[in-house]
Amino acid sequence: MRFKKIGVIGGGTMGRSIAEMLSQKGLEVYLVEKSEEQLEHAFQMLEISLDKQIEKWAITTAEKKLILSRIHKISDKSMLKDVDMVIEAVTEDMDIKKEVFIELDRVTKPDVILASNTSALSLTEIASVVKDPGRVIGLHFIHPVSRIDLVEIVRGLRTSEETYEQAKYFVESVIQKKGIMVFESPGFVTTRLICILINEALHTLQEGVASAEDIDSAMRIGYDFRYGPLEMCDRFGLDSVLAAMERMFREYGDLKFRPSVLLKKMVRAGRLGVKTGEGFFKYDRDGDRIS
Amino acid sequence: MTKILVINAGSSSLKYQLYDMKDESVLAKGRVERIGMDASIIVHQPKGREDLHAVEEILDHTTAVRIVLQKLTDPVHGVIGSINEINAVGHRIVHGGEKLTKSMLINDEVKQEIRRLFDLAPLHNPAHLMGIMAMEANLPDVPQAVVFDTAFHSTMPPMCYLYPIPKVLYRKHMVRRYGFHGTSHQYVSEQAAKFLNKPLESLKIITCHIGNGASVTAIKDGKSFDTSMGMTPLEGLMMGTRSGDLDPAIVPYAMAKEELTINEVNSMLNKHSGLMAISGLSSDMREITEAMDTDPNAKLAFDMFEYRLRKYIGSYAAALNGVDVIVFTAGIGENSVVLRKQVCENLTYLGVKLDEERNAVRSSEVRRISADDSRVEVLVIPTNEELMIARDTYRLLREKEAQGQ
Repeated sequence: MRFKKIGVIGGGTMGRSIAEMLSQKGLEVYLVEKSEEQLEHAFQMLEISLDKQIEKWAITTAEKKLILSRIHKISDKSMLKDVDMVIEAVTEDMDIKKEVFIELDRVTKPDVILASNTSALSLTEIASVVKDPGRVIGLHFIHPVSRIDLVEIVRGLRTSEETYEQAKYFVESVIQKKGIMVFESPGFVTTRLICILINEALHTLQEGVASAEDIDSAMRIGYDFRYGPLEMCDRFGLDSVLAAMERMFREYGDLKFRPSVLLKKMVRAGRLGVKTGEGFFKYDRDGDRIS
Repeated sequence: MTKILVINAGSSSLKYQLYDMKDESVLAKGRVERIGMDASIIVHQPKGREDLHAVEEILDHTTAVRIVLQKLTDPVHGVIGSINEINAVGHRIVHGGEKLTKSMLINDEVKQEIRRLFDLAPLHNPAHLMGIMAMEANLPDVPQAVVFDTAFHSTMPPMCYLYPIPKVLYRKHMVRRYGFHGTSHQYVSEQAAKFLNKPLESLKIITCHIGNGASVTAIKDGKSFDTSMGMTPLEGLMMGTRSGDLDPAIVPYAMAKEELTINEVNSMLNKHSGLMAISGLSSDMREITEAMDTDPNAKLAFDMFEYRLRKYIGSYAAALNGVDVIVFTAGIGENSVVLRKQVCENLTYLGVKLDEERNAVRSSEVRRISADDSRVEVLVIPTNEELMIARDTYRLLREKEAQGQ
């Protein structure tokens, strides 16, 4: 098994973060976006993210150059014919993902693993558009990918044993993260548990039990969370949390997944969290909390 | 039976030197860089002939070794007729832990122990093991030896190698001081005794290996008694990008205040500290020295570097109850006239008297820089870790052959 060249589809938050981590581990990354402009934008954002890492002393300026030099900008997927694996991280939309996988199936070598970073969509359904669904698997990374050493390795109904073993080897030996095996199920483990917690925090806030600040302090200080559930929601994006909750509510049909009214209201008001500068708390352009 | 190949394998690089031990001459040396990438760089320097530079795709260490052997036997650039002429291979290994305390021939147990020490030397030992495997694959019948950076310091007494923290950490996780650059400290101390024409055992020596990484060793009876690097090469002197000694409470404090992860704080202390952090200019002593007349930060960086080195020399004079010889070696130690000057000028209380003219001479020979009436001999000795590795390997080879007969 050789993993040297990895294709990453999508230069959004997750795609960039995955590309950055892979390159940091010494792998050659082929980052795919639809247009030159989107690629340029993704690269600018990558630079900003690496600069923030330099500020935190995580890397040096020389290492930043090296990391960027290993990420190749690709706007034509046919250039993925030599990659050893592909990780897809486009918008969480089944139709878009299917289109991407149809194309990946055509351009990549037939024995290459096609992984999706989906956090809640059905892998079995994504795999259905590929000739050999055995080579499709889920690799769900958590943002920021460089800092969080956990990957959910998600087996769809038809994921082959060999694909799973190779993906596990990739996660644990090549990029050296903890891989947990998850059988396909809406929200897997991480999204399912954390969204329920966030949703419950929203109910708690809505019922006037405690202030947003105090709810977060309770969990941060009381249970050693890095961020409280409301700040976490701001960081994920309120719209993303709402989408995940609605999907799980639909799939499971269980009331415990019903998104809180407050969440819906805030999304409608465009207060989406860090990306709009305001959610339950306020943030500056770098994503640092102001209040 | 005198040709020894010395290998220093890094995670993406491989350095080599081929020795003829008849006269300890280097037949060829070179390096392979960027292993694992499309365009690896090979630099091969045969003695007395033109260097060879090449770019090839070298995806792993086994291929790198194969290419090195090709270059050594190349009809045009080579120095030997066939790979059968290589009688033994010596590997540099950074960490030998508590069990691997002297140079030895490789067997399965040794390899297993090197692997067990991955946690203590995560950047080095895995790469060294790759180098060993790659050699075994290419030269299966040639004896291979390993020479450890930590071995020379294995003579430190518990008083020097333990940290005053709960002993369970030592028992469970091997937390203790090991020291590094041992091969260099040993080599220059032996050279010093030879130069002074005195038995090594009779001298109290303080060796200062000052390069990109830097450490000081107190040598008594020819053995390492104490050394400034500890469990990792971060302890001790201020270095190019490493902090050296600091209050350990700074680590959790900085982590809390700046919300740093373990990786980040490690990287801060190893890559963003030292000369680089204080000067804000460079981690390279040459640049610091050039700038220090005009740049106060460069001056401060230099002064701190020198002061921290001098304090160690003073404390090791106390550890040895006196000092007969101070040796400077490695990149900065061999070349920085101004650093040696400032150190020595402030050690007069020990009986050090510098000869400024001698100190200003640039040479690649062993030389004395103290005045004739100095009570302490101060020497500059170019280090040669590769030669030490070749010598140990050659000795082990002959012992093996003697046993076989």
